[in-house]
Amino acid sequence: MALLQRGRCCGAAATTSLRRLVLGPQRRVCESHVSSQYRASSSLPDEKKEFLQNGPDLQDFVSGDFSDKSMWAEYKGNLKRQKGERLRLPPWLKTEIPVGKNYNKLKSTLRSLNLHTVCEEARCPNIGECWGGGEYATATATIMLMGDTCTRGCRFCSVKTAKNPPPLDLNEPYNTAKAIAEWGLDYVVLTSVDRDDILDGGAEHFAKTVSHLKERNSEILVECLTPDFRGDLKAVEKVALSGLDVYAHNVETVPELQRKVRDPRANFKQSLQVLKHAKKVQPDVISKTSIMLGLGETEEQVYSTMKLLREADVDCLTLGQYMQPTKRHLKVEEYVTPDKFKYWEKVGNELGFHYTASGPLVRSSYKAGEFFLKNLVEKRKTKVI
Amino acid sequence: MDVLLFSSSEDKVTVHFINRDGDKLTAEGKVGDSLLDVVVDKNLDIDGFGACEGTLACSTCHLIFEDHIFEKLDAITDEEMDMLDLAYGLTETSRLGCQICLKKFMNNMTVRVPEAVADARQSIDMSKNS
Repeated sequence: MALLQRGRCCGAAATTSLRRLVLGPQRRVCESHVSSQYRASSSLPDEKKEFLQNGPDLQDFVSGDFSDKSMWAEYKGNLKRQKGERLRLPPWLKTEIPVGKNYNKLKSTLRSLNLHTVCEEARCPNIGECWGGGEYATATATIMLMGDTCTRGCRFCSVKTAKNPPPLDLNEPYNTAKAIAEWGLDYVVLTSVDRDDILDGGAEHFAKTVSHLKERNSEILVECLTPDFRGDLKAVEKVALSGLDVYAHNVETVPELQRKVRDPRANFKQSLQVLKHAKKVQPDVISKTSIMLGLGETEEQVYSTMKLLREADVDCLTLGQYMQPTKRHLKVEEYVTPDKFKYWEKVGNELGFHYTASGPLVRSSYKAGEFFLKNLVEKRKTKVI
Repeated sequence: MDVLLFSSSEDKVTVHFINRDGDKLTAEGKVGDSLLDVVVDKNLDIDGFGACEGTLACSTCHLIFEDHIFEKLDAITDEEMDMLDLAYGLTETSRLGCQICLKKFMNNMTVRVPEAVADARQSIDMSKNS
């Protein structure tokens, strides 16, 4: 948001100088007076004239290159929130506006099959990058099952909430499998909203989607980012035994902030139990979790949380920066620097996680396929040697 | 016709919010607006208020009322009670702001926004609801 606002202000300055350039020659023709083109600028104070002369021109905006990575270290803006303040977005969190053929193709496929993505519902900043696909990477999307409306209202999440969301679409497992097969992905992440209104929390629906998918394409790697099913371990078991490769469930934040950040029906102990149980019933599965930084946690709390997770035999960890999605949600308490994220990555590797993806824009399923496959390939290589 | 253009000051209600830092925020709403509407529409600085958009699926709009106002509020429904029970720092005069609509007798009332979480220095919060 901050970027767009700044862009608008600068844009006005750019068009003013452009207009002056356009007016100049015309005036010269009309009045055949060389000095007349400067008549418009004579009313401006000197410092404004200098500002416009030395400031950005249209070329800078057209080229689209606004994030100079070498300048991150020089960023002098406030990173820790003071009372009554709302922090500005630091430069390393600015992303491009999503456009492009792949992005549009994905969007229309999703709509035509009545599918939802958490990418759109939770306003992920990486949507352009993941959906657009890279030069070598195929586009990825995290499909959100069981509708776009959740039964809980957590203070960090902008997914729609309702007490009684619309009933489940019974064709969804089949349609999802069909869409994913169409896209030819080799790694897919399935997630869902919380459905406390359904008896098993939607576990059966989830499991069915995974098995349909594996039936259509047994080679595809499936990661499921599940809700906590209100601690119902039978539901966890149903999903864990459905044939998936990675079982993910996010603890979201340190134990001390659980009450503030998440819905009161969720808590750390319950989430940890979900992860432990998945491993218990399906020892081959890889478990994964995610923490958001910047909500007011201390470094000691983050470190002890990471230790607790490792002790629960969680294999993969992702750490990302919390970004306030709408004004009804929690303000960002701190913008953690990219260097700090790199530090946590080191800590994670030292503690023994299979991989630790850590960065301001990293999310639970960001490049999940890439990390997973890269790791798997490396591990296999060392085994051979 | 003329009734439509006439903006009555009789339906305006002033509410004072004491936020978690102890600051007093004053806002004006219309009779019939919920307290959540007032907070959101007037951009009041209350962190994480109304996460579920007023659908009785969270307790982030928990507010504490003055005794004499609390007595006159409409009876609480079971759905509101279920969510209110999960709120942190519950008091005898607590209600969910999204369910309380402005009425004339509320003019100039003061509501308090309770703490959202226990002191962070306390150890792991094991919720009773697990």
